Amino acid sequence: MSQEEPTLPDDEDDKRLMALVAEGDDDALRLLVHRHHARLVGYLRGEVGSQATAEELAMEVFIRLHRAASRWRPEAKLSTYLIHIAHNLVLNEWRRRGRKPTTALEFAAEPGDSTQQSARRVAELDEAFQRAIAQLPPEQRTAILLVVQQELPYEEIAEIMGVPVSSVKTWIHRARSRLRELLKDFYGNE
Amino acid sequence: MDNPHHKTFEQELAASLSRGRSVAVTGFADRVVGAVRADRRRRVVIRWSSVATAAAACLVAVLTLSTPSEEALNRQTFALFAHDESAQFADLLGASADLSLLSPAVEKSSVAEVLNAPGS
Repeated sequence: MSQEEPTLPDDEDDKRLMALVAEGDDDALRLLVHRHHARLVGYLRGEVGSQATAEELAMEVFIRLHRAASRWRPEAKLSTYLIHIAHNLVLNEWRRRGRKPTTALEFAAEPGDSTQQSARRVAELDEAFQRAIAQLPPEQRTAILLVVQQELPYEEIAEIMGVPVSSVKTWIHRARSRLRELLKDFYGNE
Repeated sequence: MDNPHHKTFEQELAASLSRGRSVAVTGFADRVVGAVRADRRRRVVIRWSSVATAAAACLVAVLTLSTPSEEALNRQTFALFAHDESAQFADLLGASADLSLLSPAVEKSSVAEVLNAPGS
């Protein structure tokens, strides 16, 4: 797994590439995947708590995108559309399993950390956050991941989740409160 | 008003989540293209199988509809029978047909006994 960040997607290029994908151009598809997969896998990993499942779901997202390429209308950003498909797949995955993810991810410390102690602290915190996030109700987890991890505006999150902006704001507020409660050993009672 | 715990929490939440924001996977694009090609082939097969199934269903329907009904078959049999001269001749001979049907059931010895009986 490489940590290099692909160049940021450009909406116009995405539209052009999608038109080529609709005509069956596999090179265009390869380029689209290269541009968008890292954030998609990051989001899915936060949702399902497993790298392998996140990759499987991301693969399915792109297969569905390819199937829908000829019908796709560029009303929203492609990245929003991809996360919308991913969110629906996550909901299906939970329904299929009949449970929510409860396992925390193992996060390796960044190689650039200055001391071993700080690396350990970072790893501990990441694990604690992941465990706490896994305990959130699904809609709160999705909302907090999209706003804090993916840095999306409320309007875009509302579009992805198919709910009013007010619901998104409520879920994010509740998620923050719940996370503070779950992590009170780290941050104390406020 | 700022709670230091609150500020730290927000910062560390953002820092922790942003570390998992982007997870690039080597060779992922090639895997996706491979999966998409397989999916495309599968859908072509499915499309052709449905076309073949529909064609087979049409063929069966055509054959079924063009097969004469039982009534039509009866009419045809009677028409053929009407043109069969040997059958008409047999009718003229009366019960010859019945006799020919019965004959295998009559034993030769019993016929001889009847013929040879005194007074016959």
